[in-house]
Amino acid sequence: MIYTIASTKLGIIGDPYVPADGINVAALLSGGFIVEQSTPKPKKPAKTSTEPNEEI
Amino acid sequence: MATSTYLSNPVCQINSVDVTDQVSASTLTRVIEALESTSFGKTARVYVGGLENSTLTLTMYNSFAASETFATLSGLVGTSTTVTIKPTSAATSATNPISTLTGCYLETLPIVNAALGALDTIDITFTGGVYSVATS
Repeated sequence: MIYTIASTKLGIIGDPYVPADGINVAALLSGGFIVEQSTPKPKKPAKTSTEPNEEI
Repeated sequence: MATSTYLSNPVCQINSVDVTDQVSASTLTRVIEALESTSFGKTARVYVGGLENSTLTLTMYNSFAASETFATLSGLVGTSTTVTIKPTSAATSATNPISTLTGCYLETLPIVNAALGALDTIDITFTGGVYSVATS
């Protein structure tokens, strides 16, 4: 999961946040100090016009 | 002359959040529980070291504003976290060591401590965890 800083109490707003060991990430999320950054989904492959096993 | 005077510089972080501007007092106490090992033939009680059970007590101004005291602490009650404190805001060094309690537990959180004409302050205590100190 990728997190972004949302409060100056934690760092520079917009910077990625990597929690250290022992940090309670759920508390940071509920307090609004960080936000989850959605990871982009991989693009689907282009559709082919012919079936892969189709004989020519 | 061996004295430490704290004016306005101590830096305190709870769960990575800088709460320095909300803290007015702090006491970090390293505790190694004493296990009595006195046996027959002894004329005085003797002890050996047991488990570590250090504590950090903070007096904080209560604030329900965004990113302030309540927002920092409300999600930590009943869980473990990491707290750090160092004497001044200067770079960490042998004369300005940073103390850390990793995995300490917050058991209670006063929500409101209201008194007419006074600022709302709360005392919280983090218990347990592993104490470490760094000088660089």
